Amino acid sequence: MKVKLEKVTIQTKKPTEAINVTPQVKKIVEGSSIKNGLVNIISLHTSAGIAVTEGLSCLEEDIFFILDKLIPKEGNYHHARYLDSYGRLGINAHTHLKSILTGMNTFFPIQNGKMVISGTQTIYFLEFDGPLCRTFCVQVLGE
Amino acid sequence: MIDFHTHPILVEEIVGNDEALLRAVRDVFKMGSSLQPLETFLLQMDAAGIDKAVLLPIDCSTTRGCRIFSNEDVVKLCKENERFIGFASVDPHKKNASEELDYTIKELGLKGLKLDPGLQEFYPNDKKLAYPIYEVASQLKIPVIIHTGLSWESNTMIKYSIPLLIEDVAHDFPKLNIVIAHFGWPWVLDSVALALKYPNVFIDTAAHYLDTPKEFIKFVLTRQIPITAIERSLRTKILFGSNYPRIEIRKMVDAVKALGLTEGCLNLIFKENAQRLLNI
Repeated sequence: MKVKLEKVTIQTKKPTEAINVTPQVKKIVEGSSIKNGLVNIISLHTSAGIAVTEGLSCLEEDIFFILDKLIPKEGNYHHARYLDSYGRLGINAHTHLKSILTGMNTFFPIQNGKMVISGTQTIYFLEFDGPLCRTFCVQVLGE
Repeated sequence: MIDFHTHPILVEEIVGNDEALLRAVRDVFKMGSSLQPLETFLLQMDAAGIDKAVLLPIDCSTTRGCRIFSNEDVVKLCKENERFIGFASVDPHKKNASEELDYTIKELGLKGLKLDPGLQEFYPNDKKLAYPIYEVASQLKIPVIIHTGLSWESNTMIKYSIPLLIEDVAHDFPKLNIVIAHFGWPWVLDSVALALKYPNVFIDTAAHYLDTPKEFIKFVLTRQIPITAIERSLRTKILFGSNYPRIEIRKMVDAVKALGLTEGCLNLIFKENAQRLLNI
């Protein structure tokens, strides 16, 4: 079995943002020379998420709308204190919790060198605490 | 809007190419967040509605063997982007500190001076070490921003950063505009007393030491002092500062805006007071 790993860097531009990363993932899969297998898409952050849904701007808005209702920006969170390892206060509990809720990864099968994904399915990188330069991994496994 | 208090210490294009600077950022300034492209800094400003940001370096060569960003690198960033306003820092323990300040302002075009008595280990009212620098700053008509109150860096003594030490300076250099950084926290009342008494003393809002920015700024400006003190008496003496990247700029902007100050007062804090001090 072959395993290929590529890191993709993206610059988010807003505090919250849904970025369609499907084209980048497809390109990496198609350039991997792996014909049959699996592709993992994994965020390297704890205040961002990976999610799959239909690629519509209204749904993008709904994701943040409902997450804000479930996990409000302002709450009685414990994560609001000085963190010596960062040299600053951690004050973004809600972004970490949203990341937990959405998850940080997804995967798709690969067949005949292409990702098996439906026309409506879109892979989103979800920024919860931007703007920041972010990285996600695309790991292609197979023969 | 102007952010009067930022540190460009995570700018990847500069810090990422300078191992000594990266060590200074990590080990001396105690900043552990990941480096970010310059674009992130600008986008953080955009997200906060900030047009211009003051960049503050710290020269602690004698006490820590490093500069936490050099004057030359500040100049470089300012040349690349007109949204930055560069300040200089000089080491008060160096014999040529005054001459260096004169050079950085006249020749490099920097617009003010940053001093950090905690990291640089001097008392702000030290006549031998600090007064010659203030003399030059006063002649050059540049503002001096002085770290006051608590600092996060380890091995830095708070005793150097007590706001009342600045009274001698304010008194002896009446033409020198002095900014007490971080509201002098926890000595907020002392800082307010100085700003009330001395026309040349200002305070920046870059204070976030407990809880969330909104909770902390509300605590400082409604419980440590009444909010009416800002609205009625200190509206021309407060400058917005975030202390980015120890805190995201937009989170501090939101915290100050949430206080319920009038639009006129907010305009002074976010823009006009800084414009006056910077002569822009």
